[in-house]
Amino acid sequence: MEANKINRRNFIRVTGLTGAFLAVGFDTLGFGGQPSTLKQLMPEDFIKGTPLNPFVTIAEDGTITMMAHIPELGQGIFQGLPAVIAEELEVSMDQVTIVKSSASRQYGRQSIGGSRSMRTQFMPMRQLGAGIKDLLIRAAAAQWNVEPSDCYAQEAKVINRKTKEEIGYGKLVKSASQLRVNDKAPLKSSTDFTIIGKATNRPDLVNKVNGQADYGIDAHTDGLLYATVAHCPTLQGDLTSYDADAAKSVDGVVDVMEIKRTVYGKENKGIAVVASSYFAALEGRKRLNPKWNNAAFSQVSTETLFDDMKGLAEEDGLKYFEKGDFKGSISDSETVLDATYELPYLAHSCMEPMNCTVHVREDNTVAVWASSQSPQLHRQIARDLGIPDAEAEEKIKIHMPFMGGGFGRRSMNDAFEECYQVSKALRKPVKLVWTREDDTTQGPFRQGTIHKFTAGIDGKKPKAMQTKMVSQAITTQGRDSGGRIPFEVMESINTHYDFEHLSVRFNEYRSQIPIHWWRSVFASTNGVAYEAFIDEMAVAAKQDPLAFRKQYLATEPRFVQVLERLEQESNWNKPLGPNEGKGVAIVESFGSIVAHALFLKKENGKVSIPRVVSVVDCGIYVNPDQVKAQTEGNVVFGLTAALKDPITFKNGAAQQANFDTYRMLRMNEAPRSIEVHLIDSEEAPGGVGEPGLPPIGAALLNAVHDLSGKRIRTLPLDIQSV
Amino acid sequence: MASYQLKINNKTYEVDADPQTPLLWVIRDEVGLTGTKYGCGIAQCGACTVHLNGNAVRSCSLPVSAVANQDITTIEGLSDDNSHPVQKAWLAVQAPQCGYCQSGQIMSASALLQRNPSPDDEAIDAAMSGNICRCGTYTRIRKAIHLASNEISNGSK
Repeated sequence: MEANKINRRNFIRVTGLTGAFLAVGFDTLGFGGQPSTLKQLMPEDFIKGTPLNPFVTIAEDGTITMMAHIPELGQGIFQGLPAVIAEELEVSMDQVTIVKSSASRQYGRQSIGGSRSMRTQFMPMRQLGAGIKDLLIRAAAAQWNVEPSDCYAQEAKVINRKTKEEIGYGKLVKSASQLRVNDKAPLKSSTDFTIIGKATNRPDLVNKVNGQADYGIDAHTDGLLYATVAHCPTLQGDLTSYDADAAKSVDGVVDVMEIKRTVYGKENKGIAVVASSYFAALEGRKRLNPKWNNAAFSQVSTETLFDDMKGLAEEDGLKYFEKGDFKGSISDSETVLDATYELPYLAHSCMEPMNCTVHVREDNTVAVWASSQSPQLHRQIARDLGIPDAEAEEKIKIHMPFMGGGFGRRSMNDAFEECYQVSKALRKPVKLVWTREDDTTQGPFRQGTIHKFTAGIDGKKPKAMQTKMVSQAITTQGRDSGGRIPFEVMESINTHYDFEHLSVRFNEYRSQIPIHWWRSVFASTNGVAYEAFIDEMAVAAKQDPLAFRKQYLATEPRFVQVLERLEQESNWNKPLGPNEGKGVAIVESFGSIVAHALFLKKENGKVSIPRVVSVVDCGIYVNPDQVKAQTEGNVVFGLTAALKDPITFKNGAAQQANFDTYRMLRMNEAPRSIEVHLIDSEEAPGGVGEPGLPPIGAALLNAVHDLSGKRIRTLPLDIQSV
Repeated sequence: MASYQLKINNKTYEVDADPQTPLLWVIRDEVGLTGTKYGCGIAQCGACTVHLNGNAVRSCSLPVSAVANQDITTIEGLSDDNSHPVQKAWLAVQAPQCGYCQSGQIMSASALLQRNPSPDDEAIDAAMSGNICRCGTYTRIRKAIHLASNEISNGSK
């Protein structure tokens, strides 16, 4: 016990300096010599003070610790939710130490996706902060023998209005913790906000400029082994043979074993090579010489996928939205526009490749370091090891390291699944790291889509429009969709456009290619195609594309406000030079509305993107600098999807493998300037991590048309060819 | 296996490794400095960038046998307290998002400023286009390099 106390004090001193918690390396800290009595120390075990709930602990010396309980993958939520609590608690951010939590059910749901963290947690976290402040005020009032209404809180102190006496939170926390929380404690008026709505620096960035931040791939424990997995290039082929002995002949290789990887119900075989160093594991893998039976997938190619989908686009499909009489009105339109957009399959390409570190010990206790968007793996492990649910959190400890990007990919725990099998078989700590080639070729991918549009225009009036979208769906892989439209596929198809006759239809395509949530998901395809075709309609109706959108979205004041702001901030109506082009697009997704204006310039035969101007209406925002950062990132992510490589398939296998063949947008190709403007709003918070993405591809295509007169409908495009 | 003396951040480390082992894995798994990251293994993304005798190099593609007894600097060796002008500028503009590529970005930028304290945008493009940032922080990185450049120039006056 004594040794542990010393460790604990040292640890707090060290982490106190850095302001962020290093949750790596505690697997083997413990008391007693027996492995079966190993105490697994987690970040929560090092926090001093009185916990007022799982999220906030206050020590007598006034130290305030808040748990960052939502995984941080770049979106800034590490600081975002504590900031919301701090606002209501009346403490400033420099009085708060934020500690990355472990995965635990005490925090409720910890999975992230759908740009939902702030949207769903904003009010609960405000209420939580207000409830603690109310406890502290009541504790102070009792001490002074006055009414709580005679007291107020400020800067981590309760102040007596009459006597001006004050008591710090640290001196109140013991008595406050004895009181019952008022779940309906009053919230601050937004006009009194001092943190929410103001740019705040992210404390986690301090360790992201010096190499100290702990990512999943950095996990380390004593006796760690390293693993790599040979996967079937066609994802789901059968394993025929491989040479385990050749792999084992490499110095350092300790084992070779078959494992499985489950992707939407399909079990894919892999061969894990385990070694004392990652290099040895990779060298062993090179000698495996695995043979696969790929027969079932040999017909799958990009051509067949898109030919099939184009065929489906000719069919009626399922009704999503119908207004007026599209079929009747299209036949007597003066001008009929037809266009089919084709958007490619893509990989997520998180900079930190998929990885996991797992230690399944002889005594069936488990430690996991999971770079995961869904880190609450206790139940799954407990079931496998026969651990009773009530003991799961004691025996299974799951760290939540920082993630080097996620973009939806890390909501699938396949690297964990693989690593767990290896560690369970060996009962040793194992770090399993995918190579970049595994990461690019193995999917699951962003869906490829077909969008068929038809519009009828009379003079300057767009009268009728139909869109038919064809795609695989994510949620119906491995099961029947029952003739219904899966919930995710129609995201961001903007039925607010006030055309007299509007028809929106969907046709599901089924394929062996596994697809998965990819930043902004179906908004990333629907938003691009739909807003590019809206541009075609505006041009056919001989109207300015921004004015056209304002006119036909006039019933939606938030859209109009965003467009008007963009018109002004981008100087939209200023005539451009002869070798310049501009494009606009506006998309609502994940509860927020974003519009971009993108400018192109052709100089000495070379096309560049000098400027992107963005306007974001995400309702109430917490940290405006992070809203801007996410939007800047979405611009680059969306432009990468539009301008760089697709994932193509031949004989069932992805043709791109690493960043030489699956290229990313680089600094010299990125927009030189991205200006993001935020709408001040009292609306409920919308998402921020994704909504900036969908409109940028369309703004680009529309700018290409403006610059060159070319209407490009198949992505990606080579910007230098326009 | 062979034994090598590595000079990393002004400290000498004795490591046993296969001669072909990329420096990246030796730095991360043998020496234990995990700020240098794996991103691609083929010198395409820059996440593994370190300084070798002051030049930015991709440690994923350098065998350990080629760098013994030479001066290697990793992100951990840039400063003890985030006081390097590039680190300060990175924080001032809040450049990182996920942060995974940023060690490499910072090492490329600091090598650039070492040989060209006042780079223009073209020089920045040339020096930084080997570093991928999937989060898309390029505009902030550019801003941070200009900021660091100003501090270096003012400091030297």
